[in-house]
Amino acid sequence: MTLKSIFEPNSIAVVGASASPGKWGNTILKNLLDGGFKGKVYPVNPREKEILGQTCYPSVLDIPEQVDLAVISVPSSLVFAVTEECGKKGIKGIIMITAGFSETGDEGRQLEDKLIEIVERYGMRLMGPNTLGVVNSKIGMNASIISRLPDPGGISFITQSGTLGLALADWTMEMGLGLHIVVSTGNKANIDDVDLLEYLDEDPDTNVIAMYVEGVNRGREFINVAKRISKPILAVKAGRTESGSKAVFSHTGSLAGSDEVYSAAFKQAGIIRVEDIDDLFDSALALSVQPAPKGKRVGIISNGGGASIIASDACERMGLDIPELEPETRERIKELVSGFASARNPVDTAGLAAYDVYNGIVSQMLLDPNIDAMIVIYVHTVMWDASIPARAIVDIHRGKCTKPVIACWMGGAGTEKGVDILKEGGLPNYPVPERAVKALASLVQHHGFIEKVKEGV
Amino acid sequence: MEEVVWERLRDADIPVLPMSQASTAAEAVNAAKVLGYPVVMKILSPDISHKSDVGGVVLDLGSDVEVDEAFHSMMKRVKSQVPDASIEGVVLQKMAEPGLEVIVGAKLDPQFGHVIMFGLGGIFVEICRDVSFRVTPVDREMARQMIFEIKGSPILRGARGRTAVDMEAIIDVITGLSRMLEKYPGIVELDINPLVVYPSGAFAVDARILAD
Repeated sequence: MTLKSIFEPNSIAVVGASASPGKWGNTILKNLLDGGFKGKVYPVNPREKEILGQTCYPSVLDIPEQVDLAVISVPSSLVFAVTEECGKKGIKGIIMITAGFSETGDEGRQLEDKLIEIVERYGMRLMGPNTLGVVNSKIGMNASIISRLPDPGGISFITQSGTLGLALADWTMEMGLGLHIVVSTGNKANIDDVDLLEYLDEDPDTNVIAMYVEGVNRGREFINVAKRISKPILAVKAGRTESGSKAVFSHTGSLAGSDEVYSAAFKQAGIIRVEDIDDLFDSALALSVQPAPKGKRVGIISNGGGASIIASDACERMGLDIPELEPETRERIKELVSGFASARNPVDTAGLAAYDVYNGIVSQMLLDPNIDAMIVIYVHTVMWDASIPARAIVDIHRGKCTKPVIACWMGGAGTEKGVDILKEGGLPNYPVPERAVKALASLVQHHGFIEKVKEGV
Repeated sequence: MEEVVWERLRDADIPVLPMSQASTAAEAVNAAKVLGYPVVMKILSPDISHKSDVGGVVLDLGSDVEVDEAFHSMMKRVKSQVPDASIEGVVLQKMAEPGLEVIVGAKLDPQFGHVIMFGLGGIFVEICRDVSFRVTPVDREMARQMIFEIKGSPILRGARGRTAVDMEAIIDVITGLSRMLEKYPGIVELDINPLVVYPSGAFAVDARILAD
């Protein structure tokens, strides 16, 4: 695995480290030190003796020990010289933060070609240029300008847009979503999506791959590699509304816009294409903590009729079924709730949210052979404690359930304790039914891919 | 241009309607007799790609006299519309029996290489954009998915009392096109529009190709 030096280094040089707060060379060094990275971190800057309490070296060649990775953030005029020195030092990986390459035009492209020539001559691998860095939360490595290290988790995130990637990483932290690797690809001059997918496929700590894609370089290889990967891959593709070519030689030419082609390619590769950023992380969360459903038949329970109707409608729109329950299941549900409640799917408890009601009904529905997955909705009212139904379903789910359960605790203020219990219990929770249904639809879609598209699974 | 596309289609075992070329009215009449009436006449010129826009297509010619007249009036019309076009003559095609019109096309995408498109013909493709795509190579199973993926696919299966059309014949065309594209990487765009599909069999009635 040649990308180990980038993602799992033992020692890192920060080339262009700066003592001035606010400069990238300062932020990156600070982030590496604050993140709790266990390996050695060496600031490199010929004008400083010490930065943030660390001995500073004039050049990587002056560092006495071996260095695996260099994070470079220097003015573009110095890029070739410091890259050359990294090669001489025997450094294997480079994260090139410095911008001003192919993203700026032809002249920049020539500079990028020259940079890659140096990188290849020394057998190094390079992320970027024009990347905002790489994060590996497991080893506490924040070699990026993301403000803090995300919580560890099974989702790895590849983003093509630097700034958007950062905003997203921040947002996932707000959501409390665990991320393993975050990588801003930059110009993809040496390491591209195909390389990253191959690395993340073999990485035991990644179980879901989420991507923000503007374009891929090696289309055919991209499809073939993604197809071989059994881990779920989710992608948001920017430029969705871009129309096909304006030239009117053929109907096909005018209809086969880049977006339509990406949709086809993702479908063939078994990549779940989601509409927007919310969907990306909502689906990634469900896929990272829940088992795959065997089919698309959904059971819904709610303590309020309206929410379950919204959920049923959303299921229908997303191509999920709401089947009838077995008569025995309905009988057992009736024993648990009053006469006003509906014992048909979607089950309405007519306001009840007691432990026994949620625990009993959800258990019965999960045992029903017509049900492949559950959406459990709780609409908060002052009459109930949101943590009680949460505890009720976490207790069922823990350890023995092979069918996915998605929670939807509605009502915001007052539900926090319940939401925490769900999170600790490994149940993905969403504040509105539509988001819960979309996330479940991605689980169903991934399972469908596993059966149809994915090879050798 | 005309010649190349038919040659490529035949080479890929894609069935095309019987046709022949004529450079004079007399040749046209003879060709029509051999093909059998009714026939369609289309202008043959390397400079004209949208034939019907310049009056270069006449349908349903039923006799020698009609073919003779159509030849002369077409020459006059096209020359007045596009005076600079070099005209090689006409192509006569046996008139297709009515069937279901679909479109099968290809395009070279800069990121993914060749993609194949399938859709129902006419307004379905132009207004509803009800089409499906796959990156090549496309095998039979993928071709089948492409057909089932479009919203109008019940029409192909014989909705509302109509007879179902020959799905396997469409799949043959899609997979044949996929093989053609592997063999000729220089094809930039290609439309088979329409491919007329019957309860048994299908014919490419018109086709266009743009190649490097």
